Amino acid sequence: MSGKTVLYVEDNEFNLKMVRQLLARTSYRLIEATDGELGVATALKEVPDLILMDIQLPKMSGLDATRRLRADPKTATVPIIVITSFALSGDDEKAKDAGATAYMAKPYSPRELLQMIRKLLPEQ
Amino acid sequence: MPKQEVTIHDSSLVSVPAGWEEKIAHFLLTRSPLGSLVRWVAGIKASVHAKLLASFLLVTALFMGMGVMSLQTITKMASQGQLLDEVHERVHWSQEIQHALALQMNFTAMALLLKNDSTVEHILRENNRFNNTLARLEKAAQPEEVQLIQRIRVAQQEALTTVADIANLVRDGRVDDAMRLQLSKEYPLSLQIEGLVNQLVQREREKMGQLRASVAAANKNTLVLMASSAAVLILLALLLGFVTSWSFILPVQEAHGFLGEVAKGNFAATINVPNRDEFGALADRMNQMSQELQRLYDSQHRNSQELQRLNDQLQQASKAKSNFLANMSHELRTPMNAILGFVEMALDEIYGEVPSHLKEPLTDIQTNGKHLLRLINDVLDLSKIEAGRMELVLAEYSVQDVVETVRSSLQSLALEKGLGFVAAAEDDIPLAFGDGRRIAQCLTNLVGNAVKFSKRGRVAVWVEQQGDNLVYRVSDTGIGIPKEELENIFAEFQQVDTAITREYSGTGLGLNITKKFVEMHGGRIWVESELGQGSTFSFSIPLRMNHGGVA
Repeated sequence: MSGKTVLYVEDNEFNLKMVRQLLARTSYRLIEATDGELGVATALKEVPDLILMDIQLPKMSGLDATRRLRADPKTATVPIIVITSFALSGDDEKAKDAGATAYMAKPYSPRELLQMIRKLLPEQ
Repeated sequence: MPKQEVTIHDSSLVSVPAGWEEKIAHFLLTRSPLGSLVRWVAGIKASVHAKLLASFLLVTALFMGMGVMSLQTITKMASQGQLLDEVHERVHWSQEIQHALALQMNFTAMALLLKNDSTVEHILRENNRFNNTLARLEKAAQPEEVQLIQRIRVAQQEALTTVADIANLVRDGRVDDAMRLQLSKEYPLSLQIEGLVNQLVQREREKMGQLRASVAAANKNTLVLMASSAAVLILLALLLGFVTSWSFILPVQEAHGFLGEVAKGNFAATINVPNRDEFGALADRMNQMSQELQRLYDSQHRNSQELQRLNDQLQQASKAKSNFLANMSHELRTPMNAILGFVEMALDEIYGEVPSHLKEPLTDIQTNGKHLLRLINDVLDLSKIEAGRMELVLAEYSVQDVVETVRSSLQSLALEKGLGFVAAAEDDIPLAFGDGRRIAQCLTNLVGNAVKFSKRGRVAVWVEQQGDNLVYRVSDTGIGIPKEELENIFAEFQQVDTAITREYSGTGLGLNITKKFVEMHGGRIWVESELGQGSTFSFSIPLRMNHGGVA
């Protein structure tokens, strides 16, 4: 089973665990990074099929990381879902401006997140 | 404001002159010793009243002096007139003597002609007249004339003796002898007397001429003296007036310039006047005033700097608070995300089938987790609003969608409580422009309250268009709100009667946030309620907000 690769850049271990468990029963292969710089490095190295990017990350913000990836031809077209904070109005706009394909407000429903991933990256 | 030292020096005492009189005054004050005289007068330690009185008295004294001089002159001229009269009289007398002499001669000749002595009486009478007048003349005569007069008298005595002899000869009938005597003695004597009298008349005439000339000269001198002294006096009076008045005008001009500087905000300006009178005292007070103003300005400046510093600190603190809120918002959401996510996944049986006895506690966790999330959102929203950092995300939205969002999130809750639930909007409402998500949040808050505070009956949502406005209405059949509480209902952290609301729980933030969002849209919110009968909350917002924001 050579599933499509999803990179989740997130520093909270429980959220990582949750998505890991969410995708465990799907064909997606999850790779993880715990800060913005690592996220960019991993993405450029592995070139995943889809990236879940938390907006607030250590070392480099999710928005900066998104901009970096969009600037690199290897990851310029990879779909990126930015996880935003509902209360901070304007985050959605900033995410779009940085080059996000879609955004999902935190806290998100795992069910809805999976629907969005499937929509952007069909499982086959 | 830069501190600027402006000291007006004595040399520039006079401010820019305006009229020609002032130009002259300016010239006199700067180019003549009058300037230092004015400063000297200003420097006299006396009151303005005393200075004015002194200068008026001085002018009065000068004019009184002039009056005395005129009086003296008049007196002198009067006495000279008298002298002239006297001389005139003496001339008159001398002429009378001449006349008497001539008559005497005449009467003597007549005695000879008539050959009787009846005319002797006339001769004697004329002789008396002659002598009387001569005596009067001698009395008034100058010493050098007395000699002449005495010579006349001696000659006259001799002539009279001769006349007496002639009269005797005539009486004796010796007319020829009488004639001879008359011709040989009396006639030459008469000629001699006539010559002397003529001399006297001549002298008196000369004296009169001299006196006349000296009187004319004296008059001319007096006139010149009077005119020049009057001119000098007038000049002195003018000078006094000039010096006195300018010793007062200068400090006033100085004060004018100084106050102008102060009015311009130059509190460091000082006024410098030589006056040691009321104007000097005034200048001292003005300097005190400007010092005090400078001190106040400095302290106010320091205070404003301090305020500026505090304000900067506050702004930094406010920014820090906002950043903290943004971070906190995310930090709180991250564990909430995990809690709600794991529960949802458990309920979705991603971890396998959920035993039926665990379904209820999992659902309870989910319900309370969502409630907690709403509370967190409310607190963060309000903090953002208070910090002035809440921004609306303006876009087109459908009112139907807003109603649908509210229905989907709260209808089940209402139905679970056994309440009727109706939510609808007018059919033909066009697309609205504003922050649809915030409007949905407002409506959700109101409906949430309605459901919470109603035990039976129904909750109804109705949206309609009224002109350019949208009116959202949420009515319930709940506990209602007491009249006295209606005003406070939208205030921050305010809840109706704590005993009642304890049963229903809640933070009291929802209505306040709703009001703020409605107002940010340029709308208003109000409530109608009757205790025990239910409440109707309504808000009205523009269908399409202006892009530039709303006042």
